[in-house]
Formats: sequence, structure tokens, C-alpha cells
Amino acid sequence: MATTAPYPESQGQALVERPRWGRRLLLTSTIVAFMAFLAWSVAVRQALLFVVGVGMGSVLAGARFGFTTAWRNFIEQRDPSGVLAQLLLLALAAIICIPLLAAYPVALRAALGPPSISLLLGAFVFGACMQIADGCGSGTLYKAGLGIPLNTVVLPLFAVGSFLGSATLEQWLALGAMPPYGLVTNLGAPAALSLTLIGLALLAVWAVRSADVAARLLNRKLLVGAVLLALLAVLNLVIAGQPWGVVYGFGLWAAKLATATGLFDPAANAFWSEPANATTLQQSLFLDVTSITNIGILAGALWIAVGKRRPAKKSMTKTQWIVVIVAGFLLGYSSRLAFGCNIGAMVSGISTGSLHGWIWVVMAFLGSLLGLRIRRRFAL
Amino acid sequence: MAKPLLTIVFWIALIAFFAWDWAHSSTVDARHEPPAVALSSGQAPTGAHCASTY
Repeated sequence: MATTAPYPESQGQALVERPRWGRRLLLTSTIVAFMAFLAWSVAVRQALLFVVGVGMGSVLAGARFGFTTAWRNFIEQRDPSGVLAQLLLLALAAIICIPLLAAYPVALRAALGPPSISLLLGAFVFGACMQIADGCGSGTLYKAGLGIPLNTVVLPLFAVGSFLGSATLEQWLALGAMPPYGLVTNLGAPAALSLTLIGLALLAVWAVRSADVAARLLNRKLLVGAVLLALLAVLNLVIAGQPWGVVYGFGLWAAKLATATGLFDPAANAFWSEPANATTLQQSLFLDVTSITNIGILAGALWIAVGKRRPAKKSMTKTQWIVVIVAGFLLGYSSRLAFGCNIGAMVSGISTGSLHGWIWVVMAFLGSLLGLRIRRRFAL
Repeated sequence: MAKPLLTIVFWIALIAFFAWDWAHSSTVDARHEPPAVALSSGQAPTGAHCASTY
């Protein structure tokens, strides 16, 4: 089966610009109209979050800010520029989010996931699969928005996996879990921020010391992207009261379809029968915080894609597609076991002082080492 | 930009899904709209997040 494959996240390697102002104007008008619809018919909060999502999608796609490729470049080429940009993003977000969480303990909530067996396993599998499927949570979203065939195919599978992961979460948690540990609530903001920044600084030192002597340490485009994404992540917290997330929305979309078609009874499921999730399942997706930023990311990436030339295509074999499809499903499933992806667990977890975010990073990085071997094995 | 069929199908399916959901979900209660900005609201957030176990 010969079909199109994705172009890799080429950090710093800009695609040839071919602005199409007519189409961009039309798309901009559509985005503004949808925002107005949300403000009028749903909630002003949702309209604001949609705008934040559009900003996130534009920055992710415009700067080609890929978490997956950054890790791959660091592991395979000892190029730390992408990893250092991610650390800057985490540090900036933490510097603002942690004091805010301490100052507004009622209105704002951290991304607290429980350290657990499911977290260890889920993050490891997620780290492996994001290399095979060439995209993490945000990466799959913005690349689908850009029109990259691989990620466009992976996205629905990601959603199905995320839904099934949430539906079986209770069984995974029964294997062993500790209560979530938040640095802000347990240690206070000064200690939480200090520990977070020290941890990030140590990672930065490790990345620089591991770098190839010829490698460029800093990539201006990625650094600008990191600053903008940090500010947008803070805005997400300030507006929604909860940090940026991606995979809950995917699972919700598939859960709605499964419920509507009679394949799934949410009342008989531990996760989806919980009042908060049951309410979300009955409400419009436009009221769900995570869904609305996901839609915004897709729209923002599409806005960027309108001004870019399509990349060169290459063929993928049937075997390669099967491997990628399985990885896409597991990507979604494991992200629920890990209590988030690179956004919900890593960016939001670490920047809001959650211990689970740090555990996620270690396990996902180890998983990426395996994923890259599988990627090479199948010449992906 | 010449859009391939897959991209077109993707966006049509996505928009159709959102439209279907809007039509079949509970009506939005505009009288109980969540605060526009959580920070200054003094209310606890009610949305679900990836990190939540519930």
C-alpha cells in the first residue's frame, strides 16, 4: 500500500512560504465567527480558551515546536536545542504558575496525577509510541491540522485509545497507586519553585554536557516558540482554572461516539460514571475545556498550513502503516494510564508542581529509547 | 494549497461530528455560564483534566 508519509518536524528548517492571503482571510473570518458563536451561545470562557488554543496551534506549527523530534534529535544526534527550548518553556511556565497556584488555591488547580504502576507503564509506552507515530499529544494535533497524512490517520486512533484507557483506568490503578503529590500544597510556593527550577537546571546541564561539540545549543525559533507557549499555558490556567491538557478531550470525543452508538454504557464504568465525567459526557463538547483548546490547536495549525507549501511525499509500506496505526492506538491508551501526555503530564505537571510530571519525563524518555529502535527497525 | 482527499475528509468528518454533538447534547444553560476568567472568580474549577483520576 503505497501512500503518503509525513514530513518530519524539521526544527528550524522552514518550509517555503507561499502566503495565500485570500484563503487566510477566509479562514481568519471563520475562526472569528466561531469564536463569536462560542461567546454568544456557549460561554465567554470557552471563546477565550478557543483563542488561546488557536495561539497554541499557530506557535506549535509555526515554530515546528515538536516534543518528539526534539527528544529524537537529542538521542540520535546529540542536538540539545529542542530539549533546551522545552526546559525554557517549563521554567517560564513554572515561574508564573506556581506562585499563582499558591495565591489562588481555590480558583486554580494543579495537574496532579497519582504516582502509580499505571503511570510508570503508561509513560514508558507513550514515550516509545510517540517516536513510532512521529507525534505526541500536541504534535499529533498540530500535524493533523497541518494536513500531514500520518498524523491525520493517527488522531482518531489516538482518541479511541484514550477512551479505552480511561474506561479501564480503574483496573490499572488497582495495581498500585499513591495519592497525587503536589509540591505547592506540600512544600509551599518558594520551595516548590526552587525545586522545580533546580531540577530543570540539572536537566539543562545534562543536555549541554551530552551535546555533540558541533551541535548548536540554541535555536532562536524554538526559543521564541517556548516563550510564547509558556505564556499561552499560563493563560490557559488563568482562564480555565486548570492547566493545559490534550488527551482527556480525545477520550471524551470517542466516549461520546461509543455511547451514542450503544457500544458503551457509561453508567456501568467507574471512570465515566463519576459525576464530573458523566456531566461532561452529556454536555456539548464546546463546554469542555480540553476539547475547545484542542479545536483551537487544529484551527491554528490549519491557519499556518494555508501559508505553507506542501512537503514532498514519500511512500510508506503496508507494514509501516500497521506499525504506526498500532502505535497511534497505544499512544492514546497509554496517555490515560500516564495521566497525560507531554502536555498534560509533562508541561502542565511540572509547571504546576506535580511529582507525577517528573516521573512521566523519566519513563517517557526511557520509552523513547526503545521507540527509536523500533522506528529504525521499520525504517520509519 | 492543493488539499489531498484525506485532509478534506478529516475536516468534514470533524465538523460533522461537532455539529452532531451540538445538536444532540444537553442545551447550554446560558444563565449558569462559567466565569469568563477563573483566576478572579473565587470558584473552584469544574472541568476535567488528563491528570485527574476521579
